[in-house]
Amino acid sequence: MTKPLNTLQLQLEYSERDPEAILELAFNTFDNIAISFSGAEDVVLIELATRVTDNISVFTLDTGRLHPETYRFIDQVREHYGIEIETLSPDYAELEPFVKAKGLFSFYQDGHQECCGIRKVAPLRRKLSQLDAWITGQRKDQSPDTRAHIPVIEQDLFFGSQEKPLYKFNPLAHWHSAKVWETIHEYDVPFNELHHKGFVSIGCEPCTRPVLPNQHERAGRWWWETATQKECGLHASNQSK
Amino acid sequence: MTVKITLVKKVMADGSPCKKCADVLQRLEKSGYIQHIDHIVEAHENDSTSEGMQLAQTLQVDKAPFFIVEQADGQQVVYTVYFKLVQEVLKHLQ
Ligand code: SF4
Repeated sequence: MTKPLNTLQLQLEYSERDPEAILELAFNTFDNIAISFSGAEDVVLIELATRVTDNISVFTLDTGRLHPETYRFIDQVREHYGIEIETLSPDYAELEPFVKAKGLFSFYQDGHQECCGIRKVAPLRRKLSQLDAWITGQRKDQSPDTRAHIPVIEQDLFFGSQEKPLYKFNPLAHWHSAKVWETIHEYDVPFNELHHKGFVSIGCEPCTRPVLPNQHERAGRWWWETATQKECGLHASNQSK
Repeated sequence: MTVKITLVKKVMADGSPCKKCADVLQRLEKSGYIQHIDHIVEAHENDSTSEGMQLAQTLQVDKAPFFIVEQADGQQVVYTVYFKLVQEVLKHLQ
């Protein structure tokens, strides 16, 4: 069992620190820790992690519905850093009956929760049950409604439990999009070519569209739903806030 | 494994080091891997005849810093990502 961390104390101590210091804390505290890579601009997490550790473990969720550009990008990142990226697939025993019963686009009528539940949340839960901590690229500026209170470190009570604690690090919580892009350009970090096509927040192909100038980035995700529903359950604590 | 490693770092037009090169050098020093770097060459941004610029041109590299790893058999591999160099080369050297 993982030794419990005083996340409140650490959050106070690290809330103003730069992402590298938070990553250093994460890697020095946990061996069994992995980076969750979404195939969008949180590749800077991998870039920053390479500066503090040699032992990088990265996973990504392959929902089966990603853009071809995203699949190519995942492979480009693998090649660029010479790392393995574990791609997690949905359980076919859940997916096949779902698609058979409801078709491939039920989310436009029923909402995205069910599809995301099968294609993203369940594989993530399976992966996280094997880890002591995970690192995400969540930022406060990504969603005014659901991500305004992201701490840099927290105990993940949704995917973990008191008996088997799971910790979540969000080193980019305070970074704005501009800072992320500055780092991408300054360090030649590869990025998803969809960003060139007007996409800002990138998810699955049927549920992502480009945004207009000055439109909020999350406006391009699940646009048929209201702003407060625009989370897929990967960061479930965001929804209760 | 006998290898020869050359680091090519960029010097900006105003004479200052490029930020990324300085960062990589600092990491090499901190980790001690600097001892495996046999040769450091400068690529002057405003001097296409400088040794580093010539190497960049010959090897068709458009990023700095970069590393040229020469194997004992004379084969050359270019690395533009420090982390990849660490994983694939530096980690395995004594
Ligand atoms: S984002 Fe859309 S396609 Fe992807 S898992 Fe969620 S509902 Fe399904």
